Amino acid sequence: MAEAHLNIGGLDVVLSGGDSVSLAMRIPGMRVFESRKSEVGTPSMEIRLDCSDLRPPTSGFRILHEFDIVDGQQRCHFGVDVDGTYYYTFDRHGLLRYREGEGVDIAMEGDMSALRFALWTAYGMMGVRMGAVPVHSSVVVCNGQSVMCLGESGTGKSTHTRLWLENIEGTSLLNDDSPIVRVDGDEVRVYGSPWSGKTPCFRQEHYPIAGLLRLEQRKENTIRRLGVVEGFTALQPSCPPCFAHEERCLDLLVEFISNVIERVPVYRMGCLPNADAARLSHDTIIG
Amino acid sequence: MRINEKMKVRTVAGENIVMIQGVEGTDMTRVVALNESALLLYNKLLGREFEVEDVVRVLTDEYEVNEADARKDGEAWVADMMKNGLVV
Repeated sequence: MAEAHLNIGGLDVVLSGGDSVSLAMRIPGMRVFESRKSEVGTPSMEIRLDCSDLRPPTSGFRILHEFDIVDGQQRCHFGVDVDGTYYYTFDRHGLLRYREGEGVDIAMEGDMSALRFALWTAYGMMGVRMGAVPVHSSVVVCNGQSVMCLGESGTGKSTHTRLWLENIEGTSLLNDDSPIVRVDGDEVRVYGSPWSGKTPCFRQEHYPIAGLLRLEQRKENTIRRLGVVEGFTALQPSCPPCFAHEERCLDLLVEFISNVIERVPVYRMGCLPNADAARLSHDTIIG
Repeated sequence: MRINEKMKVRTVAGENIVMIQGVEGTDMTRVVALNESALLLYNKLLGREFEVEDVVRVLTDEYEVNEADARKDGEAWVADMMKNGLVV
C-alpha cells in the first residue's frame, strides 16, 4: 500500500491507496505540498484512494446538486444518503464518499483531471469542518499581506492581480484559482494550494489577509468597503457551491464566513482593466 | 399563512440573515437581513398558521405602539416576507 503526506492550508493530508497515490503526486504542483509524516496531534485529513470495494449509495440517496467537471466532460452529482453519508458520483469515473469523522474514500479510475477535482472536493468537505475552505480567487501578496480578488468567472480577477504585478512594486502572485482560507483562533490567513487553475503558481506560503475584493466590470474605477450583509454576499458565492445545497455544510460554511468577515475587511470594486484600478485597490486596502 | 421553515435564519457576524436560493448557475447570493422586530415576529410566528391580526398582536404586545402603526408595520412585514418567499 502506498502513502503520501501533504500539508495544505496548514493541515495534514494523508493519501493512501494504490496506483492513484502516485498519480495524485504527479498532479502539477502537488509535490510542492508534500510533507514529512504527520506529527501526533496535528489535525489531519485522511483520503483513501483506490477503494475498489466502495459501494454506490442506496436508493434513498438524495441528489442535492449536479454540475459538470473537467471542462464539461463529466457530470457530477452531490448528495446525501439516508444515513447521512455524503456522496459525489462521477458519471464515468467513480465515486467519492465522506462520512463524518471517517475521512474520504475515493474509487476512481486513472484520470488525473478528475482525481485533481476529487482531491479538491475531499479537502473542502473535511476542511470546512476544520475552518479551512478553498475560496475561488486570485491572490496577490504585497508587503507581507495578501489581497484576495473574488468574482464570477470572466470578471477579471486574474487581470486585476496581473495589473498589481505590473504596476505595484514588491507584489507577487500566491494563487490564481483556489487558495485555502483558514480561520485559526483569531487569525485568518490565506494559503497557497495545488489548485491554481491554468496558472502554474503553487506556493507553500501563507499570509494574513488585508482585504477581500469583489470585482465587477464597470466603466469607471470605484471601490467601497462593505458591511456584514453585503460582505457575506460577496464571499459566499466564491466558496464551494455544493455547501450551499446541504444544511449541515451550509451551517459550517456560514460559521466560517462569519469568522472571516468579522476579522477581514471586504470591498466591492467596479473596475476597468487598467493600472489605475490596481493603484486604487492597493491604496485603499494596503495604503 | 406560515413562515417557510425551509428557509433558516442564520447569524453572521451579529446580523440575522436568511439566504434566498438564487438561480442555478449564477454566481449571486441574495440574503434578507432581519432587524430586531422582524426577527421577533419571525420567532413568535414560526411553526403555526397566522393572519395579519396575529402579527399586529405580537407588535402591540411587545412594543409600545398603537394599533394603527402596528397594523401598518405588520402589513409591510408580511408583504416583504412574502415577496422573498419567507412567508408562504
